Amino acid sequence: MTDMATGTPLSRVDGLLKVTGGADYAADHNPPGLLHAVLVTSTVSRATITGIDTAKARALPGVADVITDFGGVKLPFPAGEISFFGQPVAIALAGTLQQAQHAASVVAVRVTEKPAVTSMDDRQAIAVPSEEVADYARGDADAALKAGPIVLDNSFTVARENHNPMELPATVAQWSGDELTVWDKTQWVQGTGKHIAAALDVPESSVRVICPFIGGAFGSAGRTWPHQVLAAYAARRVKRPVKLVLTRKQMYSGVGYRPESRQRLALAAGADGRITGIVHELKTETARYEAYSEDAAELPKMLYTSPNVRSTYRLVPVDVSAGTFMRGPGFVTGAFALESTLDELAERVDIDPVELRLRNVADRNQITGTPFTQERFADCLRRGAEAFGWARRRPPKARREGNLLIGMGMASAAHPNYMSAASAVARINADGTAVVASATADMGPGTATAMSQLAADGLGLPVAKVRAMLGDSTLPTAPMHAGSATLASIGSAVHTASVAVRDAVVRMAVLDPASPLYQADPATVTVHNGVMSAPGHGSERYGDVLRRHGKDSIDSTQTWKPGDGKKASSYEFGAVFAEVSVDIRLGLVRIRRMRGVYDIGRVVNPKLAHSQAIGGLVGGIGMALLESTARDHRDGRIVNANMADYLVPVHADVPDLEAEFLDGADTASTPIGVKGAAELVIIGVPAAIANAVYNATGVRVRDLPITLDKLL
Amino acid sequence: MTIPQVNVNGRWLALSDIPVHTTLLDFVRDSGLTGSKEGCAEGECGACAVLVAQPGITTPTEWVAVNACLLPAASVDGQEVITAEGLGRADALHPVQEAMAVRGGSQCGYCTPGFVCGMAAEYYRADRDCTHAGQDHGPNGFDLHALSGNLCRCTGYRPIRDAAYSLGTPPAEDPLATRRDEPAAAPVATEVTRDGRTYLRPRTLPDALRVLAEQPETAPVAGCTDWGVGVNIHGRRADRVLAIDRLAELRELEVHADAIEIGAALSLTEIERKLDGSVPLLAELFPQFASRLIRNRATLGGNLGNGSPIGDASAALLALGAEVLLMDSAGRRTVPLADYFTGYRESVLRPGELITSIRIPLPLAPVTAFHKIAKRRFDDISSVAIGFALDITGGVVRRAHIGLGGVAATPLRAYATEAALLDRPWTADTVAAAQQVLRAEGTPMDDHRASARYRAAMLGQSLAKLHAETTEGAVG
Repeated sequence: MTDMATGTPLSRVDGLLKVTGGADYAADHNPPGLLHAVLVTSTVSRATITGIDTAKARALPGVADVITDFGGVKLPFPAGEISFFGQPVAIALAGTLQQAQHAASVVAVRVTEKPAVTSMDDRQAIAVPSEEVADYARGDADAALKAGPIVLDNSFTVARENHNPMELPATVAQWSGDELTVWDKTQWVQGTGKHIAAALDVPESSVRVICPFIGGAFGSAGRTWPHQVLAAYAARRVKRPVKLVLTRKQMYSGVGYRPESRQRLALAAGADGRITGIVHELKTETARYEAYSEDAAELPKMLYTSPNVRSTYRLVPVDVSAGTFMRGPGFVTGAFALESTLDELAERVDIDPVELRLRNVADRNQITGTPFTQERFADCLRRGAEAFGWARRRPPKARREGNLLIGMGMASAAHPNYMSAASAVARINADGTAVVASATADMGPGTATAMSQLAADGLGLPVAKVRAMLGDSTLPTAPMHAGSATLASIGSAVHTASVAVRDAVVRMAVLDPASPLYQADPATVTVHNGVMSAPGHGSERYGDVLRRHGKDSIDSTQTWKPGDGKKASSYEFGAVFAEVSVDIRLGLVRIRRMRGVYDIGRVVNPKLAHSQAIGGLVGGIGMALLESTARDHRDGRIVNANMADYLVPVHADVPDLEAEFLDGADTASTPIGVKGAAELVIIGVPAAIANAVYNATGVRVRDLPITLDKLL
Repeated sequence: MTIPQVNVNGRWLALSDIPVHTTLLDFVRDSGLTGSKEGCAEGECGACAVLVAQPGITTPTEWVAVNACLLPAASVDGQEVITAEGLGRADALHPVQEAMAVRGGSQCGYCTPGFVCGMAAEYYRADRDCTHAGQDHGPNGFDLHALSGNLCRCTGYRPIRDAAYSLGTPPAEDPLATRRDEPAAAPVATEVTRDGRTYLRPRTLPDALRVLAEQPETAPVAGCTDWGVGVNIHGRRADRVLAIDRLAELRELEVHADAIEIGAALSLTEIERKLDGSVPLLAELFPQFASRLIRNRATLGGNLGNGSPIGDASAALLALGAEVLLMDSAGRRTVPLADYFTGYRESVLRPGELITSIRIPLPLAPVTAFHKIAKRRFDDISSVAIGFALDITGGVVRRAHIGLGGVAATPLRAYATEAALLDRPWTADTVAAAQQVLRAEGTPMDDHRASARYRAAMLGQSLAKLHAETTEGAVG
């Protein structure tokens, strides 16, 4: 069909609401009688709480209560103790936000401090094995390192980073008897409902969580955090609706971070550039009260053919808040070490970096041995090199324009095409409109838009007639909106439900003697603009048959489940190219241009996918050059917990960026042929930039971010 | 005195019943206009940006985008404010909103209303035209700096820039365009007292000085870019807030034969546009100073009054040999800026005293430069800021003023370096020797912005860069 909605650059279906200020985010809800809640947080990293003085706060105008007792609430850290700097210890509630903030600022928390260790490099910080990521070995990598002939053995560090989406974490909780409604910023309404219910020991069925819009999250609103539970708890205590919004500063310790990491990546290769061994030893910081591991070990094991690999992952528990997944979690970290090392190898063996990768490209997952469902990694590399003008790259330090050194670099990107079981309902209304719904979320990629497009095609309706609903825990079951898994999973469920309800109406028609389609073969019936027709038969609208059967609407709820992945391995691939300039005198690095070429299967909406990819490149620029959560390890405080000092890229930091998607569809993995994009598009970016900086200056920076000091 | 009220999107809303330390952002949000968002509460992200009708430079009124999170609600008494909701509706989009929707300028959408307001201000700038296309300007003359204070974490900015660069000129019947032809609302005297705290906007400078004399603990505020941070982030709640930003006496810019005198309460944007490049050192400074949203409110008086050690403006003004004019109820005095700072966030400013203007002596030095070393191109705090003003005649340095920010507890003059340059030939050897001296000026620290070693090195490099630019004609 030529008029498929899928594949067209439809504008975001909720765009009009967003540009007019009409999109309602969690903090935009103001139920009558609302109290504003502000958290009081700890200013030490490890201590026992001996008392909390609230008298001064309670005496201030507008203050309704100051809650210091979280008794009975299940929180991840022990009660009465301070486990990290920034831990919630009290809640101030008042009629206005300013009043609550002021009240919170005068609450005095008395503690008996204990020695704290907050740096993973501290001698007292002891690394322990990760329970989630097992040690791995194939062949004998250490012997390969001994054999050489080419050996590179380097250490890499990545600074802690915070997601810093524009929206602050916010929860509005309102009890009505035993029923709780929560307007929340969450990537998983049903998970948040479940977790709040468990933390407050109330039935899961009594909690409804609503989140139609998310102002960006990048992973920070995936799990349920203490503030969400505490908002619901406070509302129950004061018997009034409560709005709790974390401050930007509180975000840095309240909703996770990409953990700081230390990596040793040693690689052996032949003079022909073929990798013969990889040793990858990885450590990340974690909270003492809770282990968080990420997939930083996967790419060095999986991506390139190497007969010998040894990989270990250790966690370093310290007195800090819990980390969590942040865009490209683990993969972007591991790729930085791996892809920087390949760049070094390319120079050592005097082979072009793209050609070097092509020599080591695998046609199957090197961990499982299963072939890829779609293997377009090499195509990404070749197409990227051609489109970027890679052939114009010069040797290190060879290109100068005035006071600027110019360099090019590239890196590979890969990420598993995660998929989960997901449900959706599709409903055809007799008036010719349709609704498709799932308890998923849309933190920015355009879930609702893609759902509308996929449903329109499944239903045979124009996309303007289809409305997508999400972000309500009462809708059909959906997994967390994370891991780039949403479109493949929810999209497949939407497609399945849409086709099912379409087929149901078709069946009604072909069995209905009053229908022009009576006795037509259902397999030959096509639907276009809501009109069913079949060769040799007449046609009629969905609404016609529904009305004859006395129905206003008909719906179907379907669950889609991915395959077990045992026969084939589904991965997204990409190649990232960067050109940078470095000011000789000042060490200032500026990105001049970048291009990413990606294999993400079928692209449902090129406009939104392009924006998503450019956004990922810019996230990667931030990680490469700017972003670092700086801490003072004397007391564990985060010293740049604000947007003035924690730098994210601004408009002018962003040059000409191009993203391109290879044609194709991964129909072996899902009926709609899509793979994930959001995580993939940041992976490889920091390495490509570091490699470009090396090409410009001859200075190899193995520590992110690449700040001015490191180029002196 | 009438009841304090503000016109938001065409509707008058009373300001009388709100606590004094309520921001304009919280006020409009509590009024049901939740399009404006809080993203940082300190003027860094622009999610809260709204438009305010202010006296203009090219038209009687201009729509100025400001960070609502930093302004006291009471400060807009008698003024007109437009939020994203007031620009257009889903069924009647404003051209800026339409461009953002169609070009995909919004992903998660949270920053979008702020971007829309910042973009609308530039859309309505009467002297925007396509002859300004080029560096950081679109083919339609759109100055990308208009969005320098708006952060987006999703889109990668490109669709937003595409939207901005696609805008035409407002049609003649556009009500916000025609509004520009009428004068802006005149300043009104305001007094709001609640819970024992008072916000006061006096009518005249003598009124202001009298209040300060009688109650020296009163906090004078102008652009409020520090007031907002103090309230939102540091929990400050002054008992009396005195607004001086609309006092006519502090809002003049006069060019005399021997000096340019800049009113302490003019916004940096107003100064930039009134000077229109006539002080090249400041013309270089302004685009690098914070962001447009901040410059639309921040004043030189506030910047010096607050005494930040980093002070980009101070580094530039020190190089220009500026003087600070101070006034209290007893009289006036003039202090060279080089003697003004006395310690970390401390100055010679006495309780009850106001900065009324900043004086830049004429003639200006022929060779000037402002170097800001920062990681980001917009909206960043300097690691080091250096202002140069040199007179090089016949190849010899006849005058050298160098101002430094970010290298000590106060902004400072690099006297030793100046001495190392003075009366010497402007050669690589002189510069190399002076670089050594400049590296040792101040007492730079290690912090999260940069190391002391880097700061010292950058001081030296900065002089080399200036020398290269003046001799090679190269711009790096």
